[in-house]
Amino acid sequence: MNNQPGHQNSGRLRTRLRVESFFKLLMVVSACLVLASLVLILAIILWKSLPALKLSMITRNPGSGYYLGREGGILNAILGSLQVVFGATLLALAIALPAVVFLNSYLRRKSRLAELIRFALDVLWGIPSIVYGAFGFLIMITFHLRASLLAGLITVALVELPILSRALDETIKLVPADLKEATYSLGASRWQTATRVVLRQTFPGLVTAVLMAMGRGLGDAAAVLFTAGYTDKITTSLLQPVATLPLAIFFQLNSPFPEVQQRAFASAAILTLLILLISLASRSLSRRLSRHKIR
Amino acid sequence: MNQPSRLRIENLNVFYGQNQVLKDISLALPDNRITVIIGPSGCGKTTLLKSLNRLLDEQEGVRVEGRVLLDGQDIYQPEADITLIRKRMGLLSQKPQVLPMSIYDNVAFGPRLLGLRDRRVLDGLVEKYLRLAGLWDEVKNRLQEPAARLSIGQQQRLCLARGLAVEPEVILGDEPTSALDPQSSRNVETQLLSLKENYTIVLVTHILRQAKRLADYVAFLYFGELIEFGPASEVLVSPRDPRTRAYITGEIS
Repeated sequence: MNNQPGHQNSGRLRTRLRVESFFKLLMVVSACLVLASLVLILAIILWKSLPALKLSMITRNPGSGYYLGREGGILNAILGSLQVVFGATLLALAIALPAVVFLNSYLRRKSRLAELIRFALDVLWGIPSIVYGAFGFLIMITFHLRASLLAGLITVALVELPILSRALDETIKLVPADLKEATYSLGASRWQTATRVVLRQTFPGLVTAVLMAMGRGLGDAAAVLFTAGYTDKITTSLLQPVATLPLAIFFQLNSPFPEVQQRAFASAAILTLLILLISLASRSLSRRLSRHKIR
Repeated sequence: MNQPSRLRIENLNVFYGQNQVLKDISLALPDNRITVIIGPSGCGKTTLLKSLNRLLDEQEGVRVEGRVLLDGQDIYQPEADITLIRKRMGLLSQKPQVLPMSIYDNVAFGPRLLGLRDRRVLDGLVEKYLRLAGLWDEVKNRLQEPAARLSIGQQQRLCLARGLAVEPEVILGDEPTSALDPQSSRNVETQLLSLKENYTIVLVTHILRQAKRLADYVAFLYFGELIEFGPASEVLVSPRDPRTRAYITGEIS
């Protein structure tokens, strides 16, 4: 650097400091906005839902009236959402995991096919879930199927698939090449290396990816709008329609009655809480599971 | 030289894309001796080592020509079983790479690959090879702990034990002490010296003093060419080639 502190230099220094503090301020404001929006959303939902938040919300099905009932709870939608999202995540994982292991252990890093698959996943990620919903709906019509838990969970699985695959892909890509080499040099095949070492090393990341996809699937309304239907009852079969939390919110919010609208906010609060729980679980799990991880 | 040798390299050429990194190497590695490969960094030492157990295959854009014979069989034959070849050659890498599992499972990894499940047999093997690597006394009370918690020197000896548990015939070491402190390095060196009775050992190092301590034979590589190969007493003390002499006296590095 210049070590002759002249008049001109100190002027430039002052400008630099001013620019720096300006951008620092900008960054602090942005960071605060992130936090504030979370707090604001939580606060508004809680405040609006307070009158309707009773224990019966989570322990009972909707009471009188069509599913917009002014009494009872939304147990049907809570259970229904969990049914849909567990089924969808299992299905998505069953496709994503083998695909990602194939991408990373069997294809060369710069292979055309790998590039094509990753590109396809990125495109799929970008497709709005309402399109998946419409796609699922078309297939249902073609096969004369009615809105059901099965159709809903398949559609949600389609929404989750690219998210899950890309998240898994990113964690598995981070496995050090040396670790794989060490395993290969013990005489392990690609399959053995993938299943016994790579998946173990990435297990914490894998769990996080699964929970992330679950969170996404849980909150998605558009995918289930045409495909899952809605019901006041608890669904006991894959071919019955199923209630979901996002749709509960959607329908209740559309109601002209203020007390039903309040219940929409209560449903939103419950949905948000579930997603919060999933995030917390993913954090604590991934910490606990990284015991054996090589850094 | 009339040393018996089961591992022979014949006219080996290796290319990374357009770049030739090994040029026509022919070398017979003497059985039950330590052969040390020396040379400036980037001269192809590690490539040569990795060509011996076909780890080069895992890298992209690498082309190998020539033959590597193990007991007369070319390991680069299309029908050669890579996993079997690798089981016969244990590799110690520069930075110890323990597997993401317990100390016990690290050593048992190889035997388990071979289908061994009997807990008692595994227990015996784990103890045997941890002792052979000089690590048993330090870890016998915490075999179920994650291997990642060991010190780096212990990790390298664990890697040695893990490699030995596959019952290889050849031990390949790629600067196996370069990440270790002096005490741990000495530990690993001691183990290697005691192991040469039963194994053929090939070591890459850039530490000349280590070469002097360990080598029975020395190969000097320079820009991908094998300049000189012979008994350590000759190559390290009175090298024939001026380039070897320049390297040993520290003129080139």
